Amino acid sequence: MDCPTCESMVDAYVDGELSATESAAFEAALPGCPDCRRRVEETRAMSGFLRDLPADRAPDLLRARIERELRAISSATEPKVRPAFSRNMRWMAMAASLIVAVSIGWVGGTFTGRGGADEDQFAATYLRVASSEHPVDVASTDRHTVKPWFAGRIDYSPPVHDLTSAGFPLEGGRVDVVAGRKVSVLVYRRNQHRIALSLWPATAPGNTTPKVVERNGFAMAQWRHDGFEMNAVSDVAPSEMAAFAAALDRARGEER
Amino acid sequence: MDGMPDAPKPEAPPPDAATAERFRTVVMPHLDAAYGFARYLTRDPVQAQDVAQEAMLRALRYFHAFRGEEARPWLLRIVRNTWTDFRTRRGANDQSLDSVEDRADEGPDPEQSALEGDRRRHVAASLAALPADAREILVLREIEDLSYKHIASVLDLPVGTVMSRLARAREKMAADLRGRFGRRGHGLSDM
Repeated sequence: MDCPTCESMVDAYVDGELSATESAAFEAALPGCPDCRRRVEETRAMSGFLRDLPADRAPDLLRARIERELRAISSATEPKVRPAFSRNMRWMAMAASLIVAVSIGWVGGTFTGRGGADEDQFAATYLRVASSEHPVDVASTDRHTVKPWFAGRIDYSPPVHDLTSAGFPLEGGRVDVVAGRKVSVLVYRRNQHRIALSLWPATAPGNTTPKVVERNGFAMAQWRHDGFEMNAVSDVAPSEMAAFAAALDRARGEER
Repeated sequence: MDGMPDAPKPEAPPPDAATAERFRTVVMPHLDAAYGFARYLTRDPVQAQDVAQEAMLRALRYFHAFRGEEARPWLLRIVRNTWTDFRTRRGANDQSLDSVEDRADEGPDPEQSALEGDRRRHVAASLAALPADAREILVLREIEDLSYKHIASVLDLPVGTVMSRLARAREKMAADLRGRFGRRGHGLSDM
């Protein structure tokens, strides 16, 4: 190989774009061409420098914006209740808007609130609130409107409190079906977010301290207070969920 | 090439849930690459974010035309077209290079020797100072590690032109780096 040919092959050789035959021919010609050897070395050195530059990761905000777009498409074109629940969890966890719903239900003591399946059930209730265009069946900030609405719809009367003074205004209520039983749901708002809490007559006595955990981007609170089992789900921060639970207990305590 | 977004099909169906899910699997893994490429094209982090965002949304809109070729070159081509449109819209004024000059400092590597940090700074500055056509082809080859064939599809050029343009870009950068490195070595000083 004469050198002009050799030189024209340097880049393709370094980039691994030559065929095995071409590559072998190039290598065989290299010892006789110091110029080409130098060019190969320099090209490799520069390649190493460029590959050594720190890589940029896409900013979280950018990722969140694209995810929001994908979520909007999914929720606009898919049925409201879907079997692939984990996907729902994922897009809801990414949700830019925070939603809090409270469900108050009688489920015949089937909820222990401890297993992942139960948490999924509460999260499902929350998602039905969050993904619905009509998150509540009765929209009112007035507890004296919301509480009577449940009469005849479920077989017990859930305590209803407006927590506006604590920063959690009541949005309304709805009935959901969980584990085959009708469940009443109360929806509260926290700024742009909604919170979901499940509550049904307790079978065990005494009060417990609200236990707040984070799962898949949701904050979940579970506790027993004054004869009711409470389960709240939201995409607010866990600390806000704790504040919500405390505010609810306080309101119920003041009523007695 | 089929499926490229420059010539949208007249009846583009709006993306549905299945499309969104497939997009998530096929295209989303290359979001970092899209942003990184936009970063080198624009040389500005804010503009890079705008370009990458619009490119992703375009990709989603034209995803029905994606025929299962490699997703990264497909996406990078959309990024480049988006950037071209941005520049046309805004009247192609080049950004200040300040933000790029500092980039080598971002690597949080305490083990890094002063010489290496120095070298990275020079390399980043040199790359940023290159003309756009030299810069983009070097980024696609060395940082995105694309083959000539894929570079050709991103830049919409024949492979032969990719080869000659790449060789010229390397010569240009080597000359620039030689000036920046001075007599310090780094393997290019005797070029």
